Amino acid sequence: MNEKERLFKMIEGEKTDRPPCICPGGMMNMITTGLMELAGTSLPEAHSDAILMARLAKSAYTSGCFDNVGAPFCMTVEAEAMGAKVRMGTDTIEPHVSGYVIDTTSDWNKLEKIDHTKGRSGVVLDAIKILKSELENVPVVGNLTGPVSTASSLIEPTVFYKEMRKKNADTHNLMEFVTDQLIAFGLAQIEAGADIIAISDPSGTGEILGPKYFEEFTVKYLNRLIALLKKKGAKVIVHICGQMRQVYKQADMIESDVLSFDSVVAAREARKELPDRVLMGNISTYALEFGDTVKVKTLTRFAAENGFDIISPACGLGMRSPLENIKAMGEALRERA
Amino acid sequence: MEKEKLFQEIAENVVEMEDEIVEELCEKSLEMGIDPVETINGGLIPGMDKVGQLYEDGEYFLPEVLTASFALNTGIDVLKPHIKQEDDGGKIKVVIGVVEGDTHDIGKNLVKIMGESGGFQVFDLGRDVPLEEFVTVAKENNVDFICLSTLMTTTMGGMKTVIDMLKEQGIRDNFKVIIGGGPISQKFADEIGADAYETDASSAVRRMKAMKGVG
Repeated sequence: MNEKERLFKMIEGEKTDRPPCICPGGMMNMITTGLMELAGTSLPEAHSDAILMARLAKSAYTSGCFDNVGAPFCMTVEAEAMGAKVRMGTDTIEPHVSGYVIDTTSDWNKLEKIDHTKGRSGVVLDAIKILKSELENVPVVGNLTGPVSTASSLIEPTVFYKEMRKKNADTHNLMEFVTDQLIAFGLAQIEAGADIIAISDPSGTGEILGPKYFEEFTVKYLNRLIALLKKKGAKVIVHICGQMRQVYKQADMIESDVLSFDSVVAAREARKELPDRVLMGNISTYALEFGDTVKVKTLTRFAAENGFDIISPACGLGMRSPLENIKAMGEALRERA
Repeated sequence: MEKEKLFQEIAENVVEMEDEIVEELCEKSLEMGIDPVETINGGLIPGMDKVGQLYEDGEYFLPEVLTASFALNTGIDVLKPHIKQEDDGGKIKVVIGVVEGDTHDIGKNLVKIMGESGGFQVFDLGRDVPLEEFVTVAKENNVDFICLSTLMTTTMGGMKTVIDMLKEQGIRDNFKVIIGGGPISQKFADEIGADAYETDASSAVRRMKAMKGVG
């Protein structure tokens, strides 16, 4: 059973030899300084160069860390293409938005549309093409920053959260515009060769927004995006950060193939609340960076035995996480099989 | 209208996030000749305390807290020019920011809002703050607390660096260091030698008051 078959079978609810161990990319960064050494390629350069990005992405698979490859390694590509200023970070600090585009949601129509033929969105598409052509049996994951997180990268987040209530119609206009851009970028990633699209929306969590706004802003626009990505033939993973206790009902409305949670969510609780969903998670990135292989293996077995179908880090990897700790997830799964 | 009734209405409208009504009511308090400091302490702040309570109870979430704090600040803007002289002497002073490499400042902003409504003087350094800036601003303003926040495992190490800088300069005991954020735990706080760790904004403000023996 190759990596692609295993992951797709698991998503379809069929039998597999063992749970897949993946790390999508995007917000859920899989790149570490150890991989940079192996690939002879470092960040931040690889954020802006398709060949280097593909080489680094590939090392996450060839090193035996994960059963997939994915790009990009940050969540700033979409916002930058719409006009946000981005600081590219270092080999241990991820790129982040340093300047917003608009001061209020009513200015949504001043935003630029994403032009995939240039900039880093073009780099991501080219990197996906390279990965697709070089790796036949390995799932290629394209990544999108979720609609709420993208919107709140274009405008000061506190203003955004306030205007959800104060300028409700304008906030929805902004969300519509942003979602249209994400749809276009996601479809282009699938055309370039992405088998799966992973969407992370860390600024639109139930814990931050509460059930009402989570449904009104996060679930609604995610579903618009997911429907079109699925129609184009991709499988879709959605990662929601934070505590889910108050929003399981709303999370179950998200029409992705897979739901992914972070390490504050207990495996048994998620399984009980979402019995029919394919769940991905949730090995503590703190344990992966600062723990040891014994601890990581214990956490992995526990996650697999108590409800998670696909094993993955609970969040983006700290870039200093030792390779042996990351590999320990896959080792624990192979030992069980 | 009686003063008490007016204060109650101001508090209720902060809770209901009605900034325009709060503005009107605060203007009315001035027309009635009520001391603006009394209006802040008797109307606006009890309203924000209630918001903090609703947040802790899971009735309110971030959008509600931010909108209510906007209503609170609208009221304070009306009253502030009429306060005769500000007495900052006894205020708890806090420097706060998100450590370098991280831009997630929601939690930090909540602590700032709850702190200010609790009467703290807050020096907000923003996000992605160079680590030495915490030390510099803390020294310059002789603050009581240095509050460090991060949501990312990748930048947690910066908190230890700040504490180490304080030690190197021999001023570690001049300040209490409080840390918080998604990946932070009491264990991590103990490891790096922070004075306190809290999980949410209201608890952080309560803890600081308790550590200074007020409230």
